[in-house]
Amino acid sequence: MAEKPLPSLQRITPAAPASATPGASLRAAVRRSLPVAGVIVTLLIAWEASKLAFGISDQRLPHLGAIIEVMFTRTQGGTGNILLAQMLLNAWSTFQVALGGFLLGGMLGFGLAVLFMQLPMLERGLMPYVIGSQTVPILAIAPMVVVGLGRMGAPSWAAKITVAAYLTFFPVTIGMLRGLRAASPMSLDLMRSYAASPAQIFWRLRLPNSLPYLFTSLKVAASASVIGAIVAELPAGAREGVGMMILNAAQSYNSRPPALYVAILAASLVGVTFYGMVALAERLIVGSQRTNGG
Amino acid sequence: MSAPMIEFDRVSKIYQSGGGPVNALHDVSLSIAAGEFIALIGPSGCGKSTLMRLVGDLEQPSAGGLRVRGKTAHQARLDRDYGIVFQSPVLYEWRSIRKNVELPLEIMGQPGPQRHARASELLRLVGLSDFGDAYPHQLSGGMQQRAAIARALSFEPAILLMDEPFGALDEITRERMQLELLSIWDGGPQRTTVIFVTHSIPEAVFLADRVVVMSPRPGRVERLVTVDLPRPRSFETREDPRFFALVTEVREGLREH
Ligand SMILES: Nc1ncnc2c1ncn2[C@@H]1O[C@H](COP(=O)(O)OP(=O)(O)OP(=O)(O)O)[C@@H](O)[C@H]1O
Ligand SMILES: [Mg+2]
Repeated sequence: MAEKPLPSLQRITPAAPASATPGASLRAAVRRSLPVAGVIVTLLIAWEASKLAFGISDQRLPHLGAIIEVMFTRTQGGTGNILLAQMLLNAWSTFQVALGGFLLGGMLGFGLAVLFMQLPMLERGLMPYVIGSQTVPILAIAPMVVVGLGRMGAPSWAAKITVAAYLTFFPVTIGMLRGLRAASPMSLDLMRSYAASPAQIFWRLRLPNSLPYLFTSLKVAASASVIGAIVAELPAGAREGVGMMILNAAQSYNSRPPALYVAILAASLVGVTFYGMVALAERLIVGSQRTNGG
Repeated sequence: MSAPMIEFDRVSKIYQSGGGPVNALHDVSLSIAAGEFIALIGPSGCGKSTLMRLVGDLEQPSAGGLRVRGKTAHQARLDRDYGIVFQSPVLYEWRSIRKNVELPLEIMGQPGPQRHARASELLRLVGLSDFGDAYPHQLSGGMQQRAAIARALSFEPAILLMDEPFGALDEITRERMQLELLSIWDGGPQRTTVIFVTHSIPEAVFLADRVVVMSPRPGRVERLVTVDLPRPRSFETREDPRFFALVTEVREGLREH
């Protein structure tokens, strides 16, 4: 804040820009999503073109049509749903676990950041372990958590959420700690000049000032919690979820390659949705007020 | 004569930094009366900001005594005796202009309706009535600085500390802001005591009752120039021969050391 140069005098802008008309905002939305659509179309074309050009077999890279076809065939299992419906149900299941892990890990990460900010001694003592925790592969942690919590009689969703939270809390701790410390010396001096209490400095300066950092770390955390949720389904022997889908599809890859691609699609569907929700929350909370957001 | 508002008694300030100790202020003695407008001028790095920050208890003296309203600077800060305006506006970007002006009142526990009324009054005073709901990034530099001044005035502090508040403004805006500041300072029932840091000699002479000319580091009070120009000051003040004489006197003070 303090370091920023003063905006030039020509920038005398009127009050907040009037809200755009619905037609214009729709057009803006289309313009924003155009690059994304372009990339997707390019990838799909490259997919089919490379099959054609290099003669890649259906076994190694199925036709897009075959993948879509598989989505609309009934599954062999008991439900008799088409695979697309099954995929959405599995995605929803994983989404719930990821959300639970995200909330739990987010709160833990936030709490640790606040604690570390207030007590630097504690940070020096605990931070190595926090960092160390992330160097242990999640594939090793997941079975330990699932088995451990299972023995204690906890339901399997609790174990899955714990694994997702394990991946989530770290980026939040780091990002939030950075954000809480980002208040400029002069903005802190200002608070001192008012003889503000530490609590007032926290709520009125450090916390709001950290929100852009918080949301950046929450976006990383959103993807991490989806990975955590998927990985946790494997040792948990889950009967639903994207992890289970990937596992099954991988086992039957030789006979039915397209199913794995459907499972991957399910995973990215969960991840993208989750990320989008966090980005939307950021736009609503931070967006309108900041130079960089609006 | 009544007790001084601010009194420096042989104050020194040495910063301990990576490259060894920095002698910022040396043996500064200065007495500032209640309601006095003091301009502080001197070469870059001579300790002007330091002197101001000592009054605000944002730094502590290494030696010597400092009394603010007869108290320690620390106690004066806790009593919210001063308002401060930095060289940059330091507005909180997530708060509207109105909410920025209300910030000190919020911290001091004033109830909402009172805060709102006071903020409206101040926004009118600094000519930002139409911009209460705007956010800082939507305002020009000069407007932001006016908001910062409104914020410092909001709780009616006895002392106003201003560190090159108009430093980033163009000459025309700057001269207009100087007049605005003087009319605010002159307008109230009781004059605020002002310490105004500046690099501009005409600005110092135009605004102040006394100009404190400081020497290069370590900063000492080189010369005190009493400005006997009549108040209220106006555009004509700058054409007064006496004005030029005083500007010359300050300039000479800056040159000798
Ligand atoms: N926190 C600090 N740590 C170490 N040295 C400092 C610190 N603050 C200021 N100084 C040094 O003290 C001296 C006086 O600094 P100060 O900011 O008071 O000068 P100034 O007169 O306000 O300069 P300017 O006109 O450029 O704003 C400078 O040499 C500066 O480098
Ligand atoms: Mg300075």
